[in-house]
Amino acid sequence: MTRQRRNQEARQRVLVAMSGGVDSSVAAALLVEQGYEVIGATMKLFCYGDDVPDRPCCSLDSIADARAVADRLGISHYLLNLEDRFGRDVIGNFVDEYAHGRTPIPCVRCNSFTKFRDLLAHADALECDAIATGHYVVQRDGALYRGRDANKDQSYFLWGIDRSVVARMRTPVGECTKAETRAAARTLGLVTADKPESVEICFVPTGDYLPVLEQHLPSDAPALAPGPVVTTTGTVVGEHQGFARFTIGQRRGLPGGFPEPMYVVAIVPDACTVVIGTERDLYGRVVTLDELNWLTADPPRPGDTCDVQVRYRAPAVPARVAPNGGPPGSLRLELLEPVRAIAPGQSGVLYDGSRLLGGGIITGQEPRWTSSAT
Amino acid sequence: MATPAIYLDNAATTPVLPEVRDVMLPFLDATAFGNPSSRHRFGRVARAAVERARAQVAAAIGAEPGWIYFTSGGTEADNLAVLGGALAAKAGGRPFRVAVSATEHKAVLAAAHAVDGLGGEAVTLPVDGDGLVDLGGLDEALAGGVALVAVMWVNNEVGTIQHVATLADRCAAAGAWLVCDAVQALGKVPCALADLPRAMLALSAHKIGGPKGTGALVVPDAHAVHPLIHGGGQQGGLRPGTENVAGVVGFGQAAERAGRQAHAAAAHVGALRDALEAGLTRAIADAVVHAARVPRAPHVTNIAFPGTDSEALLMHLDLAGVCCSSGSACTTGAVTPSHVLTAMGVPRDRAVASLRFSFGPQNTMAEVEQALDVVPQVVEKVRSLGAVLRR
Repeated sequence: MTRQRRNQEARQRVLVAMSGGVDSSVAAALLVEQGYEVIGATMKLFCYGDDVPDRPCCSLDSIADARAVADRLGISHYLLNLEDRFGRDVIGNFVDEYAHGRTPIPCVRCNSFTKFRDLLAHADALECDAIATGHYVVQRDGALYRGRDANKDQSYFLWGIDRSVVARMRTPVGECTKAETRAAARTLGLVTADKPESVEICFVPTGDYLPVLEQHLPSDAPALAPGPVVTTTGTVVGEHQGFARFTIGQRRGLPGGFPEPMYVVAIVPDACTVVIGTERDLYGRVVTLDELNWLTADPPRPGDTCDVQVRYRAPAVPARVAPNGGPPGSLRLELLEPVRAIAPGQSGVLYDGSRLLGGGIITGQEPRWTSSAT
Repeated sequence: MATPAIYLDNAATTPVLPEVRDVMLPFLDATAFGNPSSRHRFGRVARAAVERARAQVAAAIGAEPGWIYFTSGGTEADNLAVLGGALAAKAGGRPFRVAVSATEHKAVLAAAHAVDGLGGEAVTLPVDGDGLVDLGGLDEALAGGVALVAVMWVNNEVGTIQHVATLADRCAAAGAWLVCDAVQALGKVPCALADLPRAMLALSAHKIGGPKGTGALVVPDAHAVHPLIHGGGQQGGLRPGTENVAGVVGFGQAAERAGRQAHAAAAHVGALRDALEAGLTRAIADAVVHAARVPRAPHVTNIAFPGTDSEALLMHLDLAGVCCSSGSACTTGAVTPSHVLTAMGVPRDRAVASLRFSFGPQNTMAEVEQALDVVPQVVEKVRSLGAVLRR
């Protein structure tokens, strides 16, 4: 059927990414209720192989659950194999970032590249007007806002998508609390109503990402090789077994014997060095972002203020765009209050109130402990 | 979807024929629900119906009624023949070894694998580029000593018709049984078991307008096969269990019709298949029909559309109302080339870009014309999507 003919019937066709979890199941159900012509799609993104126990997301059980929900709703459901692309754009980047001493967020990459670019290409080929997910975020008039459930809000992961896509996004569960979503799933009799939350990274089946790095990096990769642990004054206090095992703010795996708790405050990949310091050394007042992306036609300019969030579930803090923003393509933000554990590789996401403005990847040049010491 | 769907997947299954449904209904009602093993009148009614069905199936494939053992379908019949046949050979001091062609149905391949797992041996027979079993490979396997050789009459994915008579003669001369999966042959090509020495056939009802869950193993000598399930003495103990009376009755009716109308039905589906092939190869310059150089069953065609992948094609065709299939069922979304096309030497990129269209008596030329409108557009669309996703 052509798009023209469907428009005459005043029925929009929407492709729903169904992971087999409760949120996207309810998203599909709500869109059916709202009168959309709904097509369900489950993305096959990677393969665990035979020897990994089943998991709540992206597993065969999840595909079966998504199918069962689609059958229950009476909608078409297809499996889309995006393994090659996901492997390159998400898993490959994940490994590369750790290899460079950063702490990546694969969900951001998946949204930017896999869901709202590759899946969108499928949606276009299927002549879909819109694309939907189970994200807790609200799309209104072509802009994205935080989800109504403050505990579940996932807008932090969505700063990187193409601005032109936003108006085509449908976000039916964004106005729900998680409890309401589950209640809706139960009312609809969906098999996924009481599925446990998936909290881990989908392709890190055990919750331990080290095996993924070991699988993809050469065995002599510097990121996995022993190196010095030093204090902020440069004193060597021990050895680590690979800087990829560490992230800013981490305590686990560090040498003991200090008068106060010590944390990773920096990773210097070129020297294979992990720098540790005190709680105070973790706080920073400057964040520099690159790989910028804007979901507004009017991005903040030097001197403008906005709110910035530097970790998932961390509160956003007020910030001012520095008058002389670093190198081209980057954005330097002066935080109006110090923020703990700003980790290169994580996302710095800008908001105006609840509206998502855009964001970027936190770069690694800023030595936090000196800026907090001065 | 508002578009009426066109069903071109009759090799997967067929709609139950109205005349089949009609003869089954009494056995789903309170009138003829009896157990065929019962001595009373209810039992007699059911028993008579089962025996009539047995005769109908036998007549359709040129066999004696006593050779028919009803099963739960083609998969069970294949397992009974291959695994049961191997176990009988082992018990009789013959080689505990089976040879199976590389293009067999998974039911046969998996049963052969099970023989291997039980301490026996499974040998794979290579095929040529059109799917015909290599006779040199067959002779080699026979010379090495095998209990049975499994080669399907008509391949379910590409339609290749094997030289069954030749294969049966060579097997018989070597003292081996030919196990012939005739699921796709029944009603499509002439089949007469009586002409074949030392051969047994596996059949399925739902490929010929009968109900799902019913099939048969046809074997002239019950001692050639050991039972795989054990129970009461039904069907000579070779396949015990209370008969699926309604299913068997439907199978009998469908088989009778298949035998009666084989010629006309073959002409009908053959004309549709040829029209689709001609139209698609005309519209899509680089489309390739698999096994095109050898005699094929009239109801099936398998075509490669280079530069596409079958999963994407199936999805878009389904949305456009054209229902067909790729060679193999795909449960995980992993694009795995068909083992049949792979065995025929078809390159991977072409194998994963192949679709099977299969016809039944209910299909019409108008449907073929509609498919000819849709398929080239979908192929074009999937090719451009592939280009986008490769960027």
